[in-house]
Amino acid sequence: MSLRLLDCYTHVSYGGCHDRSPGTNAPDGPRAVSQPAPGNRAQADPGAAARRRFGLRDEPADALGRQADAVAAACHAMAVRFHQGGRLVVFGTGGASADAQHVAVEFVHPVIVGKRALPAFALTADVATVTGIAERDGIAAIFAHQLRYLANPADIALGISAGAESPSVLAGLETARELGLLTVALVGGDGSAASKAAEHVLVAHSDDPRVVKEMHVTLYHVLWELVHVFFEQPGVLGPGVVT
Amino acid sequence: MSDALESLYPFLYSGTGDLTAVLGQVRASTVAKAAEIGELRRAVGARDGARIEECARAMAARFAAGGRLFAFGNGGSATDAAQLATLFLDPGGSAPPLPAFGLANDTSVITALANDVGPGVIFARQLAAFGRRGDIAAGLSTSGNSENLLRAFDEASRRGMLTIGLAGYDGGKMAELDSIDYLFVVPSSSVHRVQEAQTTIYQVLWELTTELTAEEMSHVPRHTR
Repeated sequence: MSLRLLDCYTHVSYGGCHDRSPGTNAPDGPRAVSQPAPGNRAQADPGAAARRRFGLRDEPADALGRQADAVAAACHAMAVRFHQGGRLVVFGTGGASADAQHVAVEFVHPVIVGKRALPAFALTADVATVTGIAERDGIAAIFAHQLRYLANPADIALGISAGAESPSVLAGLETARELGLLTVALVGGDGSAASKAAEHVLVAHSDDPRVVKEMHVTLYHVLWELVHVFFEQPGVLGPGVVT
Repeated sequence: MSDALESLYPFLYSGTGDLTAVLGQVRASTVAKAAEIGELRRAVGARDGARIEECARAMAARFAAGGRLFAFGNGGSATDAAQLATLFLDPGGSAPPLPAFGLANDTSVITALANDVGPGVIFARQLAAFGRRGDIAAGLSTSGNSENLLRAFDEASRRGMLTIGLAGYDGGKMAELDSIDYLFVVPSSSVHRVQEAQTTIYQVLWELTTELTAEEMSHVPRHTR
């Protein structure tokens, strides 16, 4: 549909929120620089285009619930590794590099007061190392190299890929598996390549990498919470070194 | 939280250590959370859809006139700010790349400001250095109370930037500011669900804004861009 049809202003106010007219804040406010194109007319249903896009998330979100078995198995395996002294090593490229850092901070500094800090770090935060490896050995080596020198066999490798298969994430997972780490992958589409590279594969069922990313955010929030559920029940984790 | 966890997973706290039972509880929790975020997302879309479109038009007008986006947040929201910036700067596919900066990305600047002045200025000072009239400032918070975001919005507004805020709960102190042009509040008390719904808000904003920007720029003679 033509987005030009959206050109009408509707101010909606609701509890706890306010809405300042955007045309009043500055001489060059948005209305001043956004002249409606000729032929525009008020949209009959303001918000319809945004709601339609929100609606594209419904089915993939429902599909998350259908992966509950795989989520539970991954969380249990991760909790066992933490219990044995393992650390979580997270990696992804592009937008997923931000997700990797989000996962790391989630575990190290939980938003829920009273939850213990668990060791986790992202392989995307060290720009000097990432760019150094990429220039010398190629982009596919950026995570595998770091895993080889930073990871322990007891650790957990979590690779995140929202779009097309990422050679660097796949190589990271393969290296991690060779080293004996637990391997977990968050992927999109059908997850075919990662399913060979990782023991636990959680799939967001959408071809749109932005929608996949949103499902991944829910998945890793759930992973964090449910790892803690297991971790607080050492009876289900077997012998451990971390108390 | 332990009380909340206990009510969510009663079997866990019975002391049996029964793995099958725990797995069952965890499965049920996953299903419940997927349903919860689905419902929250639909509620936000229904309530805020029209303002999201309006905000996208305002952003597109700024980008078409040469404006840049500055995104900021703390902790998990810092990673959302990074994601928002890279969505615009490196969208891939047919979407036009647009200039955007994540203000939490440069640890040298952030640690220098935090150490020399204090964490309250880490975004405001960067906006004072970079921001121009016609730019866009987008700040993400779950509580709506982060001091460094409140100061950043005031600085951005003073400089004539378009200001966009994403918050959770009831909007916190961000809802009291008059320096935010578009505030989107995700009505949930779960930090996690708030962040998930915020991700949808900013990605839909990006989708609408890039389409509108491409359209706006097609109407503008190149020599005036």
